[in-house]
Amino acid sequence: MVEQAVGLDETFAALADPTRREILARLRRGSANVGELAEPFDMSLAAVSKHLGVLERAGLIHREAHGRERRCHLRARPLRAASAWTEAYRSFWDERLDALDSHLRKRRARKQK
Amino acid sequence: MSPMGEIRLERVFDAAPEEVFEAWGDAESLATWMCPGSDMESATVEVDFRVGGRFRIVMHDPERDYAQHGEYLEIDAPKRIVLTWVSEWIPTGEAATRVSVTLEPELGGKTRLVLVHDGLPEGDAYVGHPDGWNTILTKLGGALASQKETA
Repeated sequence: MVEQAVGLDETFAALADPTRREILARLRRGSANVGELAEPFDMSLAAVSKHLGVLERAGLIHREAHGRERRCHLRARPLRAASAWTEAYRSFWDERLDALDSHLRKRRARKQK
Repeated sequence: MSPMGEIRLERVFDAAPEEVFEAWGDAESLATWMCPGSDMESATVEVDFRVGGRFRIVMHDPERDYAQHGEYLEIDAPKRIVLTWVSEWIPTGEAATRVSVTLEPELGGKTRLVLVHDGLPEGDAYVGHPDGWNTILTKLGGALASQKETA
């Protein structure tokens, strides 16, 4: 999936979208199905499902089958820990420092040639 | 003041402090590592590397641009850099966050880097309360806010 292939941390990318943040806020009040989540938005169920997919891949929600419907729940771990942003920034810097490390290695290799 | 989030990361690089320091201050180097991982993406970097100078880093990926900017508060080669950091694409409110990078020489020509990013918004205020967001988004006055209001 294109959305998944991008290098920026998934949690960060997931939180960067206002619709997705609003969906998370709704789920804080309790679980909901796609139809309920789509209500406040002027968008198709398919579009909302796509947002839910991004949130699920980022580990922010999980979807569970309840009989014939699938309900979305907020995943406690990334959000309950006081700060989702803090966690998102941690991954962001972790990735950047990995990139810095490989930049320094490449530079050294070039020098040694 | 409400408590703000802070993160702290430590890394040891197989390079001298001078080399690591340079990678933080040089636009060409920053463009290499201050961008998302996969090779199709890139970053545009403008840097005025002096105290009071500003930087702007725009990371490009196929979906959108992610811009961040800030100002250098402290530069002490090759030991320490302190800068303000604003990610323009997330609602951090009016509080500028702060990043400090400290470099210490280690045995074998290596460098220990300690990165502290503080002043981060607490997640609850941003994820938990839609009213809080509305205020923040209104304050932002940027693309996010206008998009939301016209929706």
